[in-house]
Amino acid sequence: MPKISVDKIEPGMKLTKPVTRGNMVMLKEGTELTEHMIIKIRNMDLEKVSIDGPSQNSIPKEERLVQLDMRFKNVENEPYMDLLKKLVREHIEVSYEQ
Amino acid sequence: MNNNDIRTLRRKVESISSLPTTPDVLKQILVMIEKPSISLGEISNFISNDPALATRILKMVNSVIYGFPGRISSVSHATVLLGLNVIKGLLIGTSVFELMQKSMLGLWEHSINCAITAKLIARRKGLKDPDDVYAAGLLHDIGKVILILQFPEEYEKVMNEINMEDITISEAEKNHFAETHAGVGSWLAEKWRFPLNLVESIKYHHKPHLSKNAPLETAIVHLSDILVRAMGLGFAGDPFVPALNPTVFEYLDLNENDIKEILGEVEDSKSVTEELSL
Repeated sequence: MPKISVDKIEPGMKLTKPVTRGNMVMLKEGTELTEHMIIKIRNMDLEKVSIDGPSQNSIPKEERLVQLDMRFKNVENEPYMDLLKKLVREHIEVSYEQ
Repeated sequence: MNNNDIRTLRRKVESISSLPTTPDVLKQILVMIEKPSISLGEISNFISNDPALATRILKMVNSVIYGFPGRISSVSHATVLLGLNVIKGLLIGTSVFELMQKSMLGLWEHSINCAITAKLIARRKGLKDPDDVYAAGLLHDIGKVILILQFPEEYEKVMNEINMEDITISEAEKNHFAETHAGVGSWLAEKWRFPLNLVESIKYHHKPHLSKNAPLETAIVHLSDILVRAMGLGFAGDPFVPALNPTVFEYLDLNENDIKEILGEVEDSKSVTEELSL
């Protein structure tokens, strides 16, 4: 769930975190934004809001796996490092399935 | 300048609060932290008197306690909840790292993620004070900041060597300094009167088997550093994941599923870490 600048929000996007002012919740989590709400949010002196959607996945999966190999290249044969690498690889792969 | 002599190096590192390039606010913070009898009230007043600092500390505090910003709105409430050591850690962490966002871009992100990961593991292992381990995670690489600040030219050679020769940051540091960032960081932690468990987890985060007084905390910071690097979050000076100490890893007794869950929880905290960017 990326945080995006309020200039970039569009109608139809869904909030993954409530928009609050002080302790008051102005828009609930899960709200689908309308034009009207967007105008209100932009008047609220906020920089960013949390929007549903992929976050880090703007980098292609293949590239992230290549980077992973690179990070581990000096320690592949050390104890448990293959296990850690496998777990991180799975973690990355799962994040692209959602 | 002879940085190969460990006593000279230590003296120079410890004089960081009198460096001309150190901003006044940070100098004041460092002087205050070094006082033998600093009270929570004094720290809380100091923070409250600087609105920018107060905002930053409250953001951090809320993320430490609840995992997201916004619940605690007073500095004095925050200091009471977290205690002296954690507040000192947050204060030094935010102000020192801010100084060097340009010289090692990504070190703050690495440190914040390490702090969060360390707290997650500490909680899982049932530690009494997981927030103290958070502070240790946050400050474990503080030695890198101080070395860059005090010896910019020499440290540039370290960075160049990493790029040219594919070696780790600790190896490159050893070629230029009598002590690595881990040792340097622990000198400061001592000088700043942090408790022994924090000092040791900074000092031994690459050699966790040497920790006598805080083996569990040190093991947690060691593993957190490695997990965060494995995930590629932030930048800690070189692009390589350091090797795990196998004995220490076994001592932590985490199974595959534990680690999977930890990775997931760190991922979920991403929006928090983004919010805490300096």
